[in-house]
Amino acid sequence: MSFFDDLFRRKPASAQIAKERLLTVLVHDRVKLTPEDLAELKRELAVLIQRYIPSVNPDDIEVSLLREDTSDRLKADVPLRRALD
Amino acid sequence: MARVITITSGKGGVGKTTTTANLGTALAMHGSRVATIDADIGLRNLDVVMGLENRIVYDLVDVVEGRARLRQALIKDKRLPELYLLPAAQTRDKDAVTAADMINLTNEMRSEFDFILIDCPAGIETGFRNAIAGADEVLIVTTPEVSAVRDADRVVGLVEAAEKGPARLIINRLNQRLVSRGEMLSMDEVVEILAVDPLGVVPEDELIVSTTNRGEAAVFNPSSYAGRAYINIARRLNGENIPIMELTEQTNLMDRLFGGLFGRRART
Repeated sequence: MSFFDDLFRRKPASAQIAKERLLTVLVHDRVKLTPEDLAELKRELAVLIQRYIPSVNPDDIEVSLLREDTSDRLKADVPLRRALD
Repeated sequence: MARVITITSGKGGVGKTTTTANLGTALAMHGSRVATIDADIGLRNLDVVMGLENRIVYDLVDVVEGRARLRQALIKDKRLPELYLLPAAQTRDKDAVTAADMINLTNEMRSEFDFILIDCPAGIETGFRNAIAGADEVLIVTTPEVSAVRDADRVVGLVEAAEKGPARLIINRLNQRLVSRGEMLSMDEVVEILAVDPLGVVPEDELIVSTTNRGEAAVFNPSSYAGRAYINIARRLNGENIPIMELTEQTNLMDRLFGGLFGRRART
């Protein structure tokens, strides 16, 4: 990020931050899944995925709870490495 | 036959008691027969907010335990002949009353009133469960703060689980100036996060402090923005179709000039 990006980028208003934090915490509250549970879920998921796709780097996997307009969802994002052939 | 409406919030200090007192007063001003019940046993406060603390002889627990008749315990408001308060006991705790007691009590009162408003204690334990046991409807008060909204979401779920839903939302102490600057959640954002229908918005209003100091309802004060908002909410409760109106008077000049262009709209 350049100096000018920093200069002109407005800090997000706190209401927007409040909204995003609330959306996340409410999904956790409702599913009754603690951040530790979610981390454990991610570890187990990584082991399982690697059994089938060994090239996946467990550190790249992202698992998150999201609140969207009509539904709450558990989202797992697993980047795959392109085969170098 | 009365509608029994419980005012709850989860979090303490967001304005349940003030809301109960003002909605009860506003409904009685418009000709309804109203009883307010303080269900916060051991921490009663609706009496002082309504300015009736010196008239208490018997309380809710006295009625439940048979030491007093309902008629003896109900305190008539100073100004409105159709407004009554059933105070909480101050020297007992929540376990002095059961959910069945609350159902029996409200059923006994139904034929005498048009509205029975129950001021719920903070929290989601026994006191909350007792306070919603006899309710037909539940209103959830929240402020536009992360802690209050989070607790409100818990209560929304518990009200649904108790088959008392869908609850309706009152957003209290909204500061339009902060909303316009993006530094406070707007009504629309709170409604979106909680996915609960709003019944109204009450603007932050310094006059609430002085009316509460005096033990008078803000709805008696025509210059109180919060009082006007409560009157609107009472009319909506009564079935009138009053849109959640824009409130621009309160905003300052800059907000008025730019708020309409860039800001979010204020409503009550």
